Amino acid sequence: MFRKIYRYFDILKAVASATYKEWAAYRTHSMVSIFVGPVYFLVQFFIWKAVYASRGSINGFTLEQTLTYFGISALIEYLIMDFADWNLQMLIHTGKFLTFMLKPMSHVYFAFSQKIGHRILGFIFEFTPVMLIFLLVFRITIFPVRPFWALISIILGYLMRFLVDYSIGITAFWFTKTSGIRRVFLLFRDVCSGVFFPLAFLPELWQKALMLLPFQFIAYVPIRVFIGSYELGGISCSIPQIVAIQATAVTVMAIFTIVLYKIGVRRFTGVGT
Amino acid sequence: MNIMTVRDLKKQYKTYERGSSFIETLKSLVVRETIIIEALKGISFNVEDGELLGLIGPNGAGKSTTMKILTGVLYPTSGEVNIMGFTPWRQRKAYVSEIGAVFGQKSQLIWDIPPVDSFEMNRAIYAIPRQEFNKRLGLMVEILNVESVIRKPTRQLSLGERMKCEFIMAMLHAPKIVFLDEPTIGLDVVAKDRIRDFIHEMNRNGTTFILTTHDLGDIERLTKRVLVINHGELIFDDGIETLRCVAGSKKVINITTINELLELDGVPGISITSRASLFNAELVLDTSITDLNRFTHLMNESNVISDMTVKDPPIENVVKEMYSRDLHGN
Amino acid sequence: MIRGLQIYLMALKHNFAARMAYRADFIFSSLMSFVSEMFIPLITFFIYEMGSSFPGWGFYEVLLLQGIFMLSNGVARLTFFGIVSSTLGHVREGTYDLLLIKPRSTLFLSIANVFSPDSIGTIFAAVYIIRLSLDKLVWPGALSWIEFLVLFLFSLMVLFSFSLFMAGSMFKWVGNSRIYEIFDSITSFGNYPATIFSKSFRILISNVIPIALLGFFPASALLGKEIEGALSAALVCIIFLALGLCFWRFMLSKYTSAGG
Repeated sequence: MFRKIYRYFDILKAVASATYKEWAAYRTHSMVSIFVGPVYFLVQFFIWKAVYASRGSINGFTLEQTLTYFGISALIEYLIMDFADWNLQMLIHTGKFLTFMLKPMSHVYFAFSQKIGHRILGFIFEFTPVMLIFLLVFRITIFPVRPFWALISIILGYLMRFLVDYSIGITAFWFTKTSGIRRVFLLFRDVCSGVFFPLAFLPELWQKALMLLPFQFIAYVPIRVFIGSYELGGISCSIPQIVAIQATAVTVMAIFTIVLYKIGVRRFTGVGT
Repeated sequence: MNIMTVRDLKKQYKTYERGSSFIETLKSLVVRETIIIEALKGISFNVEDGELLGLIGPNGAGKSTTMKILTGVLYPTSGEVNIMGFTPWRQRKAYVSEIGAVFGQKSQLIWDIPPVDSFEMNRAIYAIPRQEFNKRLGLMVEILNVESVIRKPTRQLSLGERMKCEFIMAMLHAPKIVFLDEPTIGLDVVAKDRIRDFIHEMNRNGTTFILTTHDLGDIERLTKRVLVINHGELIFDDGIETLRCVAGSKKVINITTINELLELDGVPGISITSRASLFNAELVLDTSITDLNRFTHLMNESNVISDMTVKDPPIENVVKEMYSRDLHGN
Repeated sequence: MIRGLQIYLMALKHNFAARMAYRADFIFSSLMSFVSEMFIPLITFFIYEMGSSFPGWGFYEVLLLQGIFMLSNGVARLTFFGIVSSTLGHVREGTYDLLLIKPRSTLFLSIANVFSPDSIGTIFAAVYIIRLSLDKLVWPGALSWIEFLVLFLFSLMVLFSFSLFMAGSMFKWVGNSRIYEIFDSITSFGNYPATIFSKSFRILISNVIPIALLGFFPASALLGKEIEGALSAALVCIIFLALGLCFWRFMLSKYTSAGG
């Protein structure tokens, strides 16, 4: 048992390290975020400033809170994002996925290990510089109200994002060119995870529907935990409560992803693409 | 002792008719025909422990399908495969720990980082003990002479260097059987030779190799036994020498004369492949019609021979003929 | 000239047939373009639904602006915008030489080969939104339509310039698909009335990088609003285009002289 854990940790270290080195060759790609992040934030700034010109609060959020929300959302994105969907569909479409079938491990775990390596790079070249820009240039205060829970919630958001993205990639086993579906899935994911605006801004019915989906646990929940209060669809939870619910959701999603993966591999090994 | 037994292996694929003209492709948006392709129609063979077996056939013959089934990456429609006690597609994870594979067109190395880093990754994935890993890596690096390249990013390597590293990658975990799918494709002669020497060496040390290739030089240099697949069927399973015999007792003769070469047309059973000049010809002689002795005698009667070489036809011609014979239902 | 047109039409037909070969995906992809384009208008809808607004602009006016922005992007992606991904792919694979050895302008061939039927979904979405908005507003007079068409052409010019800068950078910045993010982030300013931005930003998006031509100015023309600054933006656009062409040519010559 212990040997198995050690082996998996060893694999994680080796794959993460190889991925880090691989992407370090493309740090300029990561550094694009240093430009794009603040630019998008600026657009949000002007939009919401204009929107708030005629009112003081929207669904309980003041202008400052809304801007803080967007700031945190951008930063959390750099901690939790990945290319799991794009990478998997590329492997499947080029047939290179075959080389993973020849290895005595699941590709899911391999991809997960890759993400760790990739995000370490992201932490250095995306998160840190943009955070400094937000803190020093835009002057947004971004300190978690309860750091311990915020950290747990972000880790869970990181896992959920991986599982959702990977599941989207798995659809490539069935669709020859998934780019169209992918785009919509990704948009859907971003909208429903609260990346584009606080989910609390949606009509209450929509909020209630979103409570049943895994997306809010990607970003919306971590952001709310960061801010210090959670509310959706008229329901409020304490921070520990919502983090526990998040953990449950991640577990369910993990099972779903692994089952979907097994079905996908079964198809791959049947048609031999 | 058999390391592999294959019984009545069959594989069918379903695909769709797309059409090629503009109208047809538009129609295919709504309605399309299903086509069943029989990639393998029931092949059977055994492989002995330590063998170096060649698997050849024209494109679309079923070679890749066979290789994919044997490596556990594809499951068959019916049939049995037993390799080292495993059924590849059923016990995939356990099975692949014991095999290696080099798919010539699909690299296992990571493009932007040095091969050593990819090797390290494999070390962890196959749980190779550090000491053993270092020993094996050192050995193979030395044999293949890649010490100077394994620390450079893969994208900076030549095709030959990359291929050598692919081999190392595939064999670090000391697999008992290694599958090679077009391993020398695109390589220059020197690189090919090196790779072939390496395969020979590893085979001498006890590793079983199954090799598919379009390069019949690989077959001639490496294998003693060849399987020929065509249209999903095994049409030949025997030694190389038998392969040559099957295509008939032909000889390739290159003859040069002092005088203008005469009376070639009068010799039955020859087909002239080329004439470099009036004094020279290369031809294929069917010795079952005119034996070598008779041919030489006939040539001597009207010519003064200055040079003559007699060779066995390259496997290429032999196989080509075998495919075309098969086409005509022999 | 005729020959050029023939080549273009043939390339178009081939592209279309090739796309049709993946039938389910084409239909779906077009449908999905349509759906994903609805996103920004939907946000706008929510903003106005909440009782807020963009100062000086009613809901359907903003919607019209966003529809025009969408149309501009759609037409660009249908026709020439693909040169970015095509250059990206070709340079990365090392196959750009295949274009260079043909006896036609490289730029023309690049464009001819990137006709992208997928964007039809976007164009449908745009036309739908524009129609929807105009129905709720005063239908523009002939003069407004003419002004709009001229400014719309300039918006295509801006996008063409962007595509030249992006494609040109692909020769050096090999395989960086994040160039699209840079493009998206900069042009996202064009999705909203310029009145919401501070004065300095307004100058930036009119007279430096004329993004305001993508939606704001054409929409203002159609709505009969003040289009002060449109003329200078149009002039900047021409300079922008010239710079784009020069940049692209320069990067191509550097690429070819380096042996690819």
